[in-house]
Amino acid sequence: MNFVELIGNSGLFLAFLGSAIAVGLAGCGSAVGVGIVGQAASGVVTEDPGKFGRTLLLQALPGTQGIYGLLIGFLIWSKIGVFGGLLPVTTEQGFMLLLAGVPVGLVGLISGIYQGKAAAAGCGIIAKRPEELAKGMVYAAMVETYAVLALLASFLMLNGIVL
Amino acid sequence: MAIVKMKKVTMIALQSEKSTIIQNLQKFGSLQIVNLEERIAEQGFEELQPDNDNETVGRLEAKLSQVKYSLDFLGKFNKVKKSMFAPRIQVNESQRKEYIDNEEKLRIIYENCRSIDSKYTEIKSAETKLQNTISQLNPWISLQINLEDIGSTQNTNTSIGFILTKYVGEFKEAIQDENLEAYLEIVSEEKENTYMMIVYHHACEERMLQLLKQSGWTKVSFSEFTGTARGNIERLAAEREELDKKKDELTKEAEGMVPEIGFLEILFDLLTIERDKSSAVNDLGKTDKTFMLKGWLPERSSDELVKLMEGITDKYTLQFEDPNDEDDIPVLLDNPAVVQPLEMITEQYSLPNPRSIDPNPVMTPFFVVFFGMMITDAAYGIIMAIATAFVLKKFKPGGGMKKMMGLMFLGGISAFIWGGVFGGWFGDLIKFRAWWFNPLEEPLKMLIFCLILGVIQLYTGFILQAYKSIKAGKVMDAIYDQVLWLMLLTGLMFLALPPLAAAGKYMAIVGAAGTVLMSARSEKNIVKRLLSGVLSLYNVTGFLGDVLSYSRLFALGLATGVIAQVFNAMGAMMGGSLIGKLFMVVFLIIGHTFNLALGVLGAYVHSSRLQYVEFFGKFFEGEGKPFDPLRIKTKYIQNE
Repeated sequence: MNFVELIGNSGLFLAFLGSAIAVGLAGCGSAVGVGIVGQAASGVVTEDPGKFGRTLLLQALPGTQGIYGLLIGFLIWSKIGVFGGLLPVTTEQGFMLLLAGVPVGLVGLISGIYQGKAAAAGCGIIAKRPEELAKGMVYAAMVETYAVLALLASFLMLNGIVL
Repeated sequence: MAIVKMKKVTMIALQSEKSTIIQNLQKFGSLQIVNLEERIAEQGFEELQPDNDNETVGRLEAKLSQVKYSLDFLGKFNKVKKSMFAPRIQVNESQRKEYIDNEEKLRIIYENCRSIDSKYTEIKSAETKLQNTISQLNPWISLQINLEDIGSTQNTNTSIGFILTKYVGEFKEAIQDENLEAYLEIVSEEKENTYMMIVYHHACEERMLQLLKQSGWTKVSFSEFTGTARGNIERLAAEREELDKKKDELTKEAEGMVPEIGFLEILFDLLTIERDKSSAVNDLGKTDKTFMLKGWLPERSSDELVKLMEGITDKYTLQFEDPNDEDDIPVLLDNPAVVQPLEMITEQYSLPNPRSIDPNPVMTPFFVVFFGMMITDAAYGIIMAIATAFVLKKFKPGGGMKKMMGLMFLGGISAFIWGGVFGGWFGDLIKFRAWWFNPLEEPLKMLIFCLILGVIQLYTGFILQAYKSIKAGKVMDAIYDQVLWLMLLTGLMFLALPPLAAAGKYMAIVGAAGTVLMSARSEKNIVKRLLSGVLSLYNVTGFLGDVLSYSRLFALGLATGVIAQVFNAMGAMMGGSLIGKLFMVVFLIIGHTFNLALGVLGAYVHSSRLQYVEFFGKFFEGEGKPFDPLRIKTKYIQNE
């Protein structure tokens, strides 16, 4: 049995692939993003340990992409019945589930990294003008907009699939 | 609206009563003194000179910096962390005097801190030096001979040093092959370097030096040491321990002074108050017998100021003026208690322009509704509201903390309502029916609902801009820029609704035609004017983008809800046996706390963004300067 036949036979396989893309890629984006902010934040905290709380706030921002990814992954799993009795999934349905996972995964990956960079730059604001923290947070949140839109796209696509 | 109307004040009074007047003004706390120095020349009155009290200011600043230094220094040793909501210290009048006159105590504390600090620094650098020497000696720890024996004797030369490890073999061979009268002992080896002692006869010195040079020899010398390397290392290590002990002693000494922090904190506030009074004098103008003060005052406080002055003296003049167009009016906001927390959000962006409008009252319902929708969990909302109400009631925080708590309280109530409306109680842990509908089942309906809320806020923004134009007397601007534009947008939206489509068509056409004709009305050239008019139609896409941005209301609310469900599902997997149930409860508490924290952070950031980018962009004028009156500013003590 070759690869094409394998996926040809299993919509479930494709559905799992879709959820893996959503959870995996978005999670990678958040991991990198949160890591970048953590590095910058450590620099700020060496100078002034009292700023830990504020930097932590910024570090949490790029963490949401991973959660959005998990959310879509979870919805895909509950749709195909991973938590109790797998449902039969046709190849066509499987492909649709796969595609539903792509927006949040892909956008989550890229936006997580770039939101991390924006938030890391925001750590500079905390170092020099801590009272302007909110502005740094808004800059980072501008990036997240697209992750939110992708989450919405994935959700609406998923919602349209009838098993 | 809610920007407080300001009056310009000019006061002239007697020099002899200056300090009493300033002290009372500081207690009064509603007058912002403007620096007169640059304006004095404009007055054209030669006898009027800038006043100053730099001597006192300098003396107080010096003391303040001592207090601050000691506070910072002792703060490092203070293990008791102050609670965020700790009540402020009460200080009465006689204590005030006692504290501020106790110069000796401050001097002793400050000097002690200084001496501990400098001793500490000394020890640190001595320690670094010791550590360096030890690490230089370390490779030679197994060298048997005494370090002072290294050097020349009558016939031989002994030296120690290291060569690159990769040349060691070659070097040894060369000595052996050429039969040189030399002895070589490898003392220790590292990845890079090999440390060795060599002894050779003077006769072969030239050849040896040549060979050594080829192998990258670096000679090491410990001329200042006697005894073996091991002995020296042990001695130095003992010295280091001695230093450690001294450091501990200093730390103890500093920790012994920690109780003085209370004194220092009170002194810091008292000195700040005195300093502010003295530096206010620098803003005044003076003649031989009188002084002049100019400043800003909220209109409603002007009677109080007159009363205050009458209570002090009858030798004064006070003059109130309305601000003119060039004045840089300071901005003070005055809003009802519900709106006050929201001032924080606007201030983070910028204070409104004093000649513009205060967005806070209009923004409040939007912000609170959006905040709640982004959480959409009734149980979370109840927790937030109860927790913040408790903090507000129990600790009575002030300033930014009070506003933050107020904001969370409003947000909590909103989250409770929206949670009930859309049926979220800890996600799906408690299964109450949604009062309206479940967004997970009817996502499209939810999405449209969110976008409608967005349209309402954007329209409000346009209307506020029109209101501003009308207030400024430019009614036609409001019609050309906002009314036509709103007609176009409304018409376009009606096109999507069949019963209204016909009306929508005409509205859109009128709106579009009007916009094309009028949007660039300041342009003289008719072709250019129409061209930029057509281009301005492109802004419809900008509006579309703004509206779609409100879809985050749905997405973030959805995220909170579904993550809560994920935790619930994972928790349910554990809940078999009794121990499993116990784990489940702990897991659910941790999970929901995490989700709540994340939800609040997201809701705060994204609701702010919707105001800043989508709403403020339509009408807001910022860059107001805050009203900063002469008042009693304290950090630690209770302000009566």
